[in-house]
Amino acid sequence: MSQSLAKQCNDLKEGIGTADNNECSTLFKEYSSCLQGALKERGIDRLLEDAREDNKENDAAFLGRKK
Amino acid sequence: MKVFSNTETFDYSWEEVSTANWRKYCPWNDKSTHVVAVDTVSRTVDPATGILRTERLITCKQSAPDWLKSVMGGCMADESHVFETSYVDPATRTVTMVSANLTWSNLINVEETVVYRPLNEHQTQFKQEAKITALCGGWQRIKNNIEDSLVKRFRENAIKGKEGFEAVLEMSRRVFAEEREREKMSTIRAQAGHIRMAHAS
Repeated sequence: MSQSLAKQCNDLKEGIGTADNNECSTLFKEYSSCLQGALKERGIDRLLEDAREDNKENDAAFLGRKK
Repeated sequence: MKVFSNTETFDYSWEEVSTANWRKYCPWNDKSTHVVAVDTVSRTVDPATGILRTERLITCKQSAPDWLKSVMGGCMADESHVFETSYVDPATRTVTMVSANLTWSNLINVEETVVYRPLNEHQTQFKQEAKITALCGGWQRIKNNIEDSLVKRFRENAIKGKEGFEAVLEMSRRVFAEEREREKMSTIRAQAGHIRMAHAS
């Protein structure tokens, strides 16, 4: 298991790897909110938002496959 | 703009490669040490197509060349972030990963696309292409130098990445085989138990 960029989210991240399906989604939610806080603190959240916006074309190309 | 491209073949099935890909930067990979953290930001499955879309934030620690640091001054941190969006399409058996640099994005634009496709039942092709564009105004010579040094870095990391991922694939195969063996043994033991119970009753 690789590390999280934020030390305080590491335990949650590790927990996800060993959790069963029920626990997994709860832990992922907790880890996500921990991560969001850490990204905001470092100012990465806005960079991420921009990158997501720039990636819209790829989403269209790779998710747009007809069934 | 400079382009770096690279094609490799892994002697593992697409199922093995696409699964182990999530663990590419785990401790079994002792080559890609420049990747210090991997965080999953979002993960969804498109109900219409079954395509798994994942956003990850990859944190790298790799120092920039000294000449570049001297051009840029103190603003060049050694830690950088890459935003990766991946699409796993189980129907076409394709993994596509698109990555862009978050750090220094006003200076350099790096967009990398990696595609994993099955060559046959036992082999998977890895195709990588990176487009590198220096955006800073000023001398073309400096832009060229920045682009060239990043292409060189990509080439070095690609070699390490291949070696490291081979180690992860080998370990994954071994661990899965052991796991299957354990399951088989416990089924046999359970069956033996049932037989004993049946005899005893």
